[in-house]
Amino acid sequence: MSVTVRLATPLRAAAQGSASLSFEATDLGSLAREITARYPELAARVLRDGEFGRFVNVFIDGEDARFLDDGDLRGKRTVEILPAMSGG
Amino acid sequence: MAITLERITPLRGLRCRACQVLQPADTRYICAECYGPVEPEYDLAASDANALREKIARGPHSLWRYADLLPVAEPASHFPVGWTPLVRAPRLGAAIGIANLFVKDDSRNPSLSFKDRPVAVALARALELGLDTIACASTGNLAGAVAAAAARNGLRAFVFVPATTDEGKIAGAAAYGATVVRVLGTYDQVNRLCARLADEEGWGFVNFTLRPYYAEGSKTILFECAEQLDWRLPDHVVVPVGSGALLTRTATAAAQLRQTGLVDDTPFRIHAAQPAGCAPVSDAVLDGYREVRPVRDPNTVARSLAIGAPADGDGSVGIIRASGGSAASVSDAEVQGACALLASTEGVLAEPAGGVVVAAAKALATRDVFDDNGSVVLYITGNGYKGTLDAGLLKPPIAADADEFRAAYAEVLG
Repeated sequence: MSVTVRLATPLRAAAQGSASLSFEATDLGSLAREITARYPELAARVLRDGEFGRFVNVFIDGEDARFLDDGDLRGKRTVEILPAMSGG
Repeated sequence: MAITLERITPLRGLRCRACQVLQPADTRYICAECYGPVEPEYDLAASDANALREKIARGPHSLWRYADLLPVAEPASHFPVGWTPLVRAPRLGAAIGIANLFVKDDSRNPSLSFKDRPVAVALARALELGLDTIACASTGNLAGAVAAAAARNGLRAFVFVPATTDEGKIAGAAAYGATVVRVLGTYDQVNRLCARLADEEGWGFVNFTLRPYYAEGSKTILFECAEQLDWRLPDHVVVPVGSGALLTRTATAAAQLRQTGLVDDTPFRIHAAQPAGCAPVSDAVLDGYREVRPVRDPNTVARSLAIGAPADGDGSVGIIRASGGSAASVSDAEVQGACALLASTEGVLAEPAGGVVVAAAKALATRDVFDDNGSVVLYITGNGYKGTLDAGLLKPPIAADADEFRAAYAEVLG
């Protein structure tokens, strides 16, 4: 199951400058493992103990992953990783 | 391209709150090492408290009197922001059971909310960087502040708000000449859109790309409270929480006031006020200072606080715990009642976020949180005239006749 991961600009330096990457993953856990295997520098920044850390927000087809219980990526197309910032 | 500018303020750089690495104050807005939040750090060790107090006293009647504790210098082109009244509130205090109560009336800023403070600092940075456009994601007040600042300085402005935002608030932003973009969805969905645009458009997005500077402006509300209390921290402050940035920067401000010797190291407890329909921080505090659980669909009359996934939420919970503070969440009915009470007892007409603070303070007083009889400051952060006021208190019109007046208002006349 192929999913496109979009990276915010400040995150691209850890992925050889790529704005988007393609992964085979069925859920966020397997996506995290794939990122660790292929882009360890990116993994070191966005993952904590194998999970997406508190300083990035992850959106699956536009939906905040924190509101999705299982992080299922089957049938999903895009995962967006953005720095966690909100409000004023 | 990274550029480091010369400054007159003693800025050491930007330090990451997560990994603690000190970095250059260039155009970065998150930590290059771990993507954590970065905050300006100052060289305050050389400060002479008395000399600094005198310098501040000679400064302008605006937040720029604290320029030594801000990351940028005052821009010549902007209007004065801040230096708002801190007033004793004895009648409100009697009504809600707080003996030593003060109201920090920050509804008296140029665009009628405290958001003019962070925007003033972000604007100064935008001008320093030579940007021609500023922008924001907003629940309403920030939109007005950005629009006004852009108009004052001849910049272009884009403001993005949830489509449910009070029309009165965003019509003001449009009147200032900003492009107002109403987005279908919650604030957090607007935020995601703006995180993307901030990345791609090269604008000065005050709460994204200028965030390390923007957030510093929020410190000045406590700087002022301390100065207005003759250089003493209040014993308690009740802070409305949306993103949590105001609360976390209140703690930063207290730390800097102590570090510079401007105030003594007295107990200072920070309490959070949230509406029940969006209370991720208050709920976390009251549930044993646990991690914040985001709220998917906020539902509250206090729309300026309707941020379900607050970026400074966990930071706020940690600060509240460390300060010995607490939290409360209050219903919409309590919020509306508290707004009316604040207006009728102290002459301060606040937007619903102010009602949240007053009602939360009452709830905290009921729980004996203020039983030390110390000073309690309520942050009133937005003006009631910005939203749609409840006309339900108005009576029907009368003819221009004295007898009719006396008959219609017999109850009031006694």
